[in-house]
Amino acid sequence: MSTIELHNLTKAFGELIAVNDVSLKVEENEVLCLLGPSGCGKTTTLRMVAGLEVATSGDILIANKNVNNLDTRDRNLAMAFQFYALYPSLTVAENLANPLHAENLSTEEVRKKIFEIADILQLRDIINRKPHQLAEGEKQRVAVGRAIIRDPECFLFDEPLSRLDVQLREQMRGQIKEVLSNLKKATVIVTHDQLEALTMATKIAVMRDGFIEQVSSPHDIFAKPNNTFVAGFIGTPQMNILDCKISNANSSVVKINTLGQEIEIDFQSQLDLNVNDDYYLGIRPRSFEIVNDNSSDSFSGQVDLIENMGAEVLIHIKINESTFRSVQNKSHQIKIGETINLKPKKGQVHLFNKEGKVIRNE
Amino acid sequence: MKKRAIGEAGWLYTGFAAVVGFIYFFPVLFIILTAFRSRSDTLATPPKWFFTPTFENFYHIFFRSMSNSTEYVATGFHVYFFNSIYISGMSVLLALIIGTLAAYGFSRHPLRGNDTYLFIILTTRMLPPIIVIVPIFLIFRITGLAGTYTGIILMYTAFNLPFSIWMMKSFFDELNTEIEDASRMDGASERSVFFGVCIPQVYAGLAATSVFALILTWNEFLFSLLLTNKLTRTMPPAMARTIGGEINVDYGLLAAMICLFIIPIFLITYLLQNQLLRGVTFGTIKK
Repeated sequence: MSTIELHNLTKAFGELIAVNDVSLKVEENEVLCLLGPSGCGKTTTLRMVAGLEVATSGDILIANKNVNNLDTRDRNLAMAFQFYALYPSLTVAENLANPLHAENLSTEEVRKKIFEIADILQLRDIINRKPHQLAEGEKQRVAVGRAIIRDPECFLFDEPLSRLDVQLREQMRGQIKEVLSNLKKATVIVTHDQLEALTMATKIAVMRDGFIEQVSSPHDIFAKPNNTFVAGFIGTPQMNILDCKISNANSSVVKINTLGQEIEIDFQSQLDLNVNDDYYLGIRPRSFEIVNDNSSDSFSGQVDLIENMGAEVLIHIKINESTFRSVQNKSHQIKIGETINLKPKKGQVHLFNKEGKVIRNE
Repeated sequence: MKKRAIGEAGWLYTGFAAVVGFIYFFPVLFIILTAFRSRSDTLATPPKWFFTPTFENFYHIFFRSMSNSTEYVATGFHVYFFNSIYISGMSVLLALIIGTLAAYGFSRHPLRGNDTYLFIILTTRMLPPIIVIVPIFLIFRITGLAGTYTGIILMYTAFNLPFSIWMMKSFFDELNTEIEDASRMDGASERSVFFGVCIPQVYAGLAATSVFALILTWNEFLFSLLLTNKLTRTMPPAMARTIGGEINVDYGLLAAMICLFIIPIFLITYLLQNQLLRGVTFGTIKK
């Protein structure tokens, strides 16, 4: 069984606690993305799984076996590195062959495996080149190839696409996803790119300052963020997070005071709210629809700025000296200075308490 | 980087560089010429530029008539030549081995207060060697190391170590540690990470470090003068002794010795010059 389990994993570098009490489980055939801003401890977590970093406390289980005291080479893992880590003096074929040395295969078997991988990743034409003769995308494919050539317990990827340009990244994302789905192993990918995480992962763990903020499916992490950090981190443009007060919460329809306006929002079930307490209201820019009349369930404000995004426009709406943003279709032909009415879409409004934790009936 | 065509700088700059180059090379050239002059030609004023070359100076290095006799006897100078090669070779090798291991340790497994240790290592090179010569001389006398190969080799190794450690550390620091991690993932032991992954990537550094250390050791005069005896003496003090001749200084003989003296270092530097260039520019060029 190819699984990875982390129990209360902690890593301290002197005073700094890079990874704080992290517990995770990656099942067989599951791709977990560790997502978070730079310096949140995601790479350190990955390196501890790989055995390249020693954990301060906690347990790491690979295939249900505790590997705390095992050396990297005895953990039977494969890893692709951010900077590819290809041996500069070896050709592509030799680089690919390197992980197989420990397996004692015959020359013929090694050859067969190299060509098999080369075919999957389209490396046939460059098999005899040295790393410095390769383009970024090719280097990256060799790095992936070197990780998947063996049949390890699990796979680890450290920011595999971060060095590629946008076009190549899109292309490689699909390729890697396809390769991973054929491997059927527990896989951990570290990335700071949410798009990468949302497309490649079957499960996402969002990290901040060494803590795991939320572990969910890509859909849930987007649609049901647990706190304001996850809400703000996932999704572009960023979610609007507005200060608000509750003026009436007697039914599923809650009256909320924000930006100097009172708005009624239907949460479809009764929430546990305190009237007159401070809360945060979170609405994604894409969760507004334009309505003709200003009614009790819509915001009314002036268009302050319009950013062109291609088929859509990002409009900044000003209400009482505060602004929030909304994405609308270009066909609405909105003009600066115009007053528009925006109604939050049902089920796409989030309420967070002062600590930033979401208030939701599951 | 774009490769420039040879001669792109033009004649004016090339000519200027040639003049400066000639000024630098002139003392060496003069010594080489002097080595081939006969005794009377050597002392001619103004210097004779055209003369019949002779090998007598080179012959005199090894066979010379001693005072009051016409008989040519072996001077035993080849021993000093051998000593120089043996002593500098051994000490550079030792400094390179210890220095590389230490540098790898400093770079990959930093101690608490790593920089302090590195600084302390360097302090020994901050004072002129003459300051420490008295205690060292006493230590050598007491331990019986004075005059032995072991003594002077150890001395030179210690002398070369700070430089080797600092230089090799900078090379190890420049390496991409991901490659080492990757080979660990591929099943390499720590030993094969060092020998199989790190060392092959710092060949240029090893070459540069050994050449610089070799030049320092090869030309060292003071320690050799005071810590070696007749049997273990190296070339620099041996050459110096011929200056104090009974009649006057035999410049031709001295020049011939210098010619022989620079051949090994010249050859090694020439053979390693490509590595050396990469070595001294290491890290200054974006990877």
